[in-house]
Amino acid sequence: MRPVLTQKVAALLWAAAILGCIGFGGWQLGQGLYIKAKAEVAQILLERAWEKTLADGKPHKAWPWADTWPVAKLEIPSQMKSEIVLAGGTGEALAFGPGHLFGSPDPGKPGTSVIAGHRDTHFAFLRHLKNDDTVIVTTRDRKQHLFRVRGSRIVEHDNSQIDPHAGFGIALVTCFPFDAREQGPLRYVVFAEAVADAS
Amino acid sequence: MSIIDRYTAGAARPRGWSHSLAFFLTFACLVLLLLAGFIRHTRAETAPVPAGLVTLGDIESGALLFKSTEPGKYVPAPLLATDVKIDVSGPIARARVTQRFINPGDGWVEGKYIFPLPEDSAVDTLKMVIGDRVIEGKIKEKEEARQIYEEAKADGKKASLVEQQRPNVFTNSVANIGPGETIVVQIEYLQTARRDGDTFSLRFPMVVAPRYTPKEANPQFVDFEPGSSGWGDVLPPERDDTLEQPPVLRPEMGNVNPVSLKVSLDAGFPLGDVASPHHEVMIERDGKRAATIALKDELVPANKDFELTWKPAATKAPTAALFRERVGKEDYLLVMLTPPSGDVQPEAKPREAIFVIDNSGSMSGPSMDQAKESLLWALDRLKPGDTFNVIRFDDTLTVLFPDAVPAHGENLAVAKKFVKGLEANGGTEMLPALRAALTDRRSGNEDRVRQVVFLTDGAITNERELFSEITSNLGRSRLFTVGIGSAPNSYFMTRASEAGRGTFTHIGNEQQVVERMSELFEKLGNPVMTDIIATWPDSRTTESWPNPVPDLYKGEPVVLSARMPEAKGTLTLKGEVAGEPWEVRMSLDKGEPRPGIGKLWARRKIEQLEADARIEGDWERNDKAITAVALEHHLVSRLTSLVAVDVTPTRPDGEKLTSKDMPVNLPEGWDYDKVFGEQTIPASQRAQMKQGVMAFASYAPAPPPQADAGGLQPVSLSLPQTATDAPALIHSGILALLVGMALSALWWLRRHWSATAWARRAR
Repeated sequence: MRPVLTQKVAALLWAAAILGCIGFGGWQLGQGLYIKAKAEVAQILLERAWEKTLADGKPHKAWPWADTWPVAKLEIPSQMKSEIVLAGGTGEALAFGPGHLFGSPDPGKPGTSVIAGHRDTHFAFLRHLKNDDTVIVTTRDRKQHLFRVRGSRIVEHDNSQIDPHAGFGIALVTCFPFDAREQGPLRYVVFAEAVADAS
Repeated sequence: MSIIDRYTAGAARPRGWSHSLAFFLTFACLVLLLLAGFIRHTRAETAPVPAGLVTLGDIESGALLFKSTEPGKYVPAPLLATDVKIDVSGPIARARVTQRFINPGDGWVEGKYIFPLPEDSAVDTLKMVIGDRVIEGKIKEKEEARQIYEEAKADGKKASLVEQQRPNVFTNSVANIGPGETIVVQIEYLQTARRDGDTFSLRFPMVVAPRYTPKEANPQFVDFEPGSSGWGDVLPPERDDTLEQPPVLRPEMGNVNPVSLKVSLDAGFPLGDVASPHHEVMIERDGKRAATIALKDELVPANKDFELTWKPAATKAPTAALFRERVGKEDYLLVMLTPPSGDVQPEAKPREAIFVIDNSGSMSGPSMDQAKESLLWALDRLKPGDTFNVIRFDDTLTVLFPDAVPAHGENLAVAKKFVKGLEANGGTEMLPALRAALTDRRSGNEDRVRQVVFLTDGAITNERELFSEITSNLGRSRLFTVGIGSAPNSYFMTRASEAGRGTFTHIGNEQQVVERMSELFEKLGNPVMTDIIATWPDSRTTESWPNPVPDLYKGEPVVLSARMPEAKGTLTLKGEVAGEPWEVRMSLDKGEPRPGIGKLWARRKIEQLEADARIEGDWERNDKAITAVALEHHLVSRLTSLVAVDVTPTRPDGEKLTSKDMPVNLPEGWDYDKVFGEQTIPASQRAQMKQGVMAFASYAPAPPPQADAGGLQPVSLSLPQTATDAPALIHSGILALLVGMALSALWWLRRHWSATAWARRAR
């Protein structure tokens, strides 16, 4: 009797362990891939909203329940990257695209405009930026602002040392270290200085 | 393995072994799950390296910094002494700050000196003293001033440049300080004494030695040299014992920056109590109205702000003051008026409080919790006679009660339950909410004050629309904005509260909720005078600030700054005190002449123009106006700087300026042992300073947030979380799948093996 019972229990435990592992793995993997997919797909929808914004100069939401809207388009020719920048650095905005922080001036205005993005999705390219790389920001008024990368710095998130009123340029921010799997307190900031506006 | 070893005999061996193994694996699997969950919450990174250099962000107060070749990094120089003289005449103070520095090295250096000043200070004078010559600074547009300075620097002339970094933080660059030379720099500014009730006070942000904050404020260096492969190199944190002690200043060495301070006070009325809450002082009376105040210890370590308070001898200070100055073709006026206060404090009127809470998606997380907590706190403070209503909005809108209801048990319970249940979701449509809040069903009712408390992070685009809604529909309501979260849109909220004749409160974290909300409620509960209107003799040619005049709360005086072609006629101030009309007439030609009134006016105008520029987004026009005002009144602003150049070149032609020539700006002859005792620069750091070339000049980082900034301006921006947990999720997902697969394989193998073993035995 007993061996049969233990055999059953053993089989059950085996099944539980295997199913547990596979279930958990599938769930985690799915979550991770969902975040990535969301980031990619959102940019397509945002691109559409951005076209509308460019046409009439007013903010348009990419989907009706969104709490953010495209404010600019960021292009880095050397990395062949282009991203739609959203309003605000809230977690909700950053899930879909780089976000422009409310406390900082708009790109192309005096001061340092701060744009933050996720290191593992939209701003993964930030680590490859070099000095003198060009960054082009198109704002709602269809103006293209040219910036040149002048340097970078690693700071703590609560002491960014970025004065939004000083200088004339943009600061691109992402998490540091780039390959860490966990979220951390350090941020990598790339400074780009404004150069003469293109039309 | 020990589990297996123990079952070495018996028929049940395969079963028992399998049983235990399965148990073990299930257990391992669970541990793995827990571990995966746990790891995600631990921080992977450690604190960055402390090094000997500082950035502007590290400096909490005045210090002379020598430029190093590390971009944005400076070597603090020993500061010999600071001497402060403040002349107080009535409510106006002129401060003269004199700093002496030496260059202890044997090369020619350029220094940069960063110092804080009071928020409302109007910096108008720069003097550089070389030997017995005094060189006076001139006001120029920022770019021009910088050019003049750079040229002088290149020519080997001594030069000094004062620039505004933020309204309360300035820098002074000094070029061509010779070996062993002492440079004296003098800066003067004007400010008005603060008045609260019958107490006047004045604050001087003390100059502290650059305090070294290794953990928070010292980033790792990234080398990003042009011409290299282009990959930034993060210099690894070095755990060298010599790095434990920052090479320049240690906290216990605070007294290397001694300050002497003297205030000559002429109150303009018989003086009562004079006190300095944070420092021991000697007070010498000079007649009834004047006194001289000096620090008891002639030199004090500069580690806390100096504050001076004074009171009139009579039970009450004079209730009105009028000062004037004629500059060019215009008269400038400063009016101070104190409404009735003290014993006859009028009973505060009951309130109609409208609370508006933003529960849009951008508020999600700690912001929403803080907003809810603040609102619940506020609901608890309502008095029985008050009425209230709650409005919440995202892209939809709920007005809790059809009309304001009395603040008693049941209504409050309903409101609290409503607030507790709020969740952050959806878009931010502020306009309908604002409209609903300003809709006043009893606009003629003067028995109650109507106060709208607006809690939001201000994530909006239609600032102008909202702004015009406030100005046109305010009526008897007053708008108090409460900014929630680390980076609310404080420009909008400050301006909105000004237009709404209320105040702006910033709540940055959980700990501030009670403190800041109680400050706000102290004000809400005690409005002394409302609906203040200043009527000038000729309103077309008069420019006066602030405009509109804000309500007065307990103890506050009305302070008006005005400019007009000629000060004559009568100023009429009308207001309402506890429902009773209040009116004061003041002859403008009777004011006492006092220098500096024009500059104080200009400073306020610049403040207003800066705020306008942010709201209107029209930087060009406002920038022009700011430049014009600042140049006219000789003031340092965001767009103008003071520059002083010595005409005679002092640096010999052959010698070159250290900051350009030597790879390290830390001179070899820099004798730390003599100046600071046993200290050396670690070799690792020297190597570090030799790297890195490019200039970072235009990105002067912000100083750390100052406690007394009142939350009006976010100083150093705090940055959001910019990593998803996707990599962690994918990683642990793949890991778990692999383990699952390995388990399946093991199971299959084991079954296969036991089946064949059975078969073998059966045979």
